[in-house]
Amino acid sequence: MELLNLPYEKYNLNNGLEVILHKETSLPLVSVNIWYKVGSAYEQKGKTGLAHLFEHMMFQGSENVPKEMHFRYIQEAGGTLNGSTNFDRTNYYEKLPSNSLELALWLESDRMGHFLSALTQEKLDNQKSVVANERLERYDNQPYGLAWEIVLKNLYPEGHPYSWATIGYLEDIKKYKLEDVQDFFRMHYTPDNAALVIAGDIEINKTKNLVDKYFGSIVPSLQKKEPAIIDFRINKNIVVEHLDNVQLERLYLAWHTDKIYTDDDPKLDVLADILSGSKNSRLYKRLVFDEEISQDISAFQFSGKFGGMFMIISTAKPGIALERLKQIIFDEIETVIKRGVEDKELIKTKNSIKASYIYSMQSLDNIADRLNMYNFYLNEPNKFNFDLLRYNKITNKDVSDVCRKYLSNPFVELRVISSKKNN
Amino acid sequence: MINRKIKPESEKEIFFNLPEIQEETLVNGLRIIYIQKEKLPITRLNLMIECGSKFNPVGKKGLSNLTSMVLDEGADGLTALEISDAFDMLGSNFTVNSDDESINLKLQTLTEQLESSLSIFSKVLLKPDFKEQDFEREKRKILTRLLQLSDEPDFTAQRILEFLVFSENNPYAYPSLGYVEDIENIKIDDLKSHYSQNFSPSNSYLVAAGNSEFEDFLKVIKPHFNNWNSSAVKSELSFENKFEKKKIFLFNKKDSVQSEIRIGHSSVKRNIYSFFPRLLLNTILGGQFTSRINLNLREDKGYTYGAFSSFSYLKDSAFFYVSTSVSNENTFDAVNEIYSELQNIRNGVSDAELEFAKSSIIKKFPANFETYRQITGNLATKVIHSLPNSFFNSYIDNVSNVTSEQVKKAAQDLILPDNAFCVIVGDKSKLESSLKSAGMDIIEVDDKGKII
Repeated sequence: MELLNLPYEKYNLNNGLEVILHKETSLPLVSVNIWYKVGSAYEQKGKTGLAHLFEHMMFQGSENVPKEMHFRYIQEAGGTLNGSTNFDRTNYYEKLPSNSLELALWLESDRMGHFLSALTQEKLDNQKSVVANERLERYDNQPYGLAWEIVLKNLYPEGHPYSWATIGYLEDIKKYKLEDVQDFFRMHYTPDNAALVIAGDIEINKTKNLVDKYFGSIVPSLQKKEPAIIDFRINKNIVVEHLDNVQLERLYLAWHTDKIYTDDDPKLDVLADILSGSKNSRLYKRLVFDEEISQDISAFQFSGKFGGMFMIISTAKPGIALERLKQIIFDEIETVIKRGVEDKELIKTKNSIKASYIYSMQSLDNIADRLNMYNFYLNEPNKFNFDLLRYNKITNKDVSDVCRKYLSNPFVELRVISSKKNN
Repeated sequence: MINRKIKPESEKEIFFNLPEIQEETLVNGLRIIYIQKEKLPITRLNLMIECGSKFNPVGKKGLSNLTSMVLDEGADGLTALEISDAFDMLGSNFTVNSDDESINLKLQTLTEQLESSLSIFSKVLLKPDFKEQDFEREKRKILTRLLQLSDEPDFTAQRILEFLVFSENNPYAYPSLGYVEDIENIKIDDLKSHYSQNFSPSNSYLVAAGNSEFEDFLKVIKPHFNNWNSSAVKSELSFENKFEKKKIFLFNKKDSVQSEIRIGHSSVKRNIYSFFPRLLLNTILGGQFTSRINLNLREDKGYTYGAFSSFSYLKDSAFFYVSTSVSNENTFDAVNEIYSELQNIRNGVSDAELEFAKSSIIKKFPANFETYRQITGNLATKVIHSLPNSFFNSYIDNVSNVTSEQVKKAAQDLILPDNAFCVIVGDKSKLESSLKSAGMDIIEVDDKGKII
């Protein structure tokens, strides 16, 4: 599809920084998007949450940018900005009127090359406290908020880079010292471990000169180690019960699957959609619509650089035992394995995926982030069409095959039980 | 070598062409408001029927929402599953929901599938089945959903605040989703009357954005809406604002590890005159990351992950509120800091703050028209608040012209710490000691906001 074929230029600076430029002039906007190739998978047990805490520190100013001014300068220019951390990478991005591109490059290069001199104990203490509150707000005080962490801990063996959540454990976050943050910066935040995407209303040659001006003199210091990939499968089912402050009980099932952009990865996405992606999907229809024993159901393939998993999550209606949900879920899995899926289901899923690809092209921030994502995982930014074609060629048999291959294996079962029942 | 000490200035002014708003009223009275945006082969539309939850009859809170839930569960011979499949096959996203003001039928589709999507859309709009079994199923679903939502501290805190800041006879005091005891009493005939009394072209607006020319869009649209005729009439409502002395309310949510906080009061309706001073006022006070409240509570004190304020504009009313969540031990310090910020802003804002806020709003303006969702959202706002067509064209001038005196006056008129209610959702046993030492009088409420 021509719409998904994005022209770009990619090159490296002498210090190793990858640069990807994409011109798109429909609005006078520009997105600047940097991926640092480090996420929580690069942490160690007992030192979790550091990659994410570090992301917070990157907004605390640098040598030439006082505290709070990073946000202020971009907002003053009419821009929006943020950053995010996941297992595999940390990204930082801003979208501004295109006449303020230079401002964004100045800010990003200052914190890439001139960060340490502005780091203080006071800033660190403040952001440790902010992150502790973030954890309380988004995990500890949320209904079912700890489920993700519990599933990861049980599905992956101790020491596996995906065995803890990106937010990290509170006791680890509290312990961090200035030198932990400094070491983390030296190890990972160096131009040869980053890729810079600039997408939007730009002039290519002028932009190249600006990139050179601001990033060219940053000295690389790469010392990072890749996490050891432990190929591991659980060999028997693990059942965990967790008491939570909730009214409705919820079942989580998780299986090991394959990594991102492997052959099986898109097939598992399709399987997930056929199981739970629409009203007439198999599990939704049976559990929520026909039998009304679940309030909600979702299934998804989660995949990254170091592993993948397939998850099914369903909340039981009041008075319904989680065992019943589980039985029906496995019943439907069995049916897919034995009898496969229908043409109509497959076409429906493919059509939805195709349309949602086109919908996702509305936002420049998203386009810039995808260019970086494809470059990170596939070493080629313009992989939009490839990404979509992965789904087009999937057959009915592929879907039942991946279902058999992964969902008949041992799994983690987490039962979130209501603590109120016992009061 | 570059001099990194110097912040780069922006280059020459950029040129942004505001897309043209095009309108047409069909013979049956349906108003269509459209913006063409050519970038992608997408069309997005939102049919707003003015019969949201503020029109719910007494004792039937939740009726409008339940009507919206059952509407697409069967129409003109198609079952709920067939309707859902038909949209999915086309790759179109279709949803129905209800808010305070209206029931909204929203469609996002590839433009090549607009025609086919509308043929299903119009069945749902014009010929809903309202079958007993679909009604019963959706009713059980919303009852369970309310139970589930009662676990969520932010939902509970917001529901309590909105109940307390409006008088009891003001329908905005009640959640769109309704109350369990009311929903249990709703019958299918209530839905049918809600539908027949309100669903009419003269009571509705169609706001849309897409890559087609307006003419071509109309050609596709018209056949599906031209035959929509109904005698339902539009209802007008108006409400008085309520102001009482500052009070602190607590909903005891056992085992909370955090306190969810809301502080606010009702406010005057949105209108053109006071909107821009209010916009700048809130931008400086708590509208964005670098606003006073967040910088104080997060970047200075480290009490929270984030703290924000907002004017929530309803069609016939408004309210102002600050929201945040903090750990148990910082609850009362955070509440005090918020009240001081509300007090301080009444002394006015500095020129630097005002210039910063203006710059941020004005320069961000083009980015408000980036996605089809943003465009239909802007059009919906224009419709709900009856904004003139010149609203977007004169937006930048109106922001530029606001003076610091106007912001100070807006602060004194509209930010009322002595009348602001504080709602805390948290574990009473963990808050009690700091509560006592702070000498604050606490009124305990249930999860709806009723005083226990």
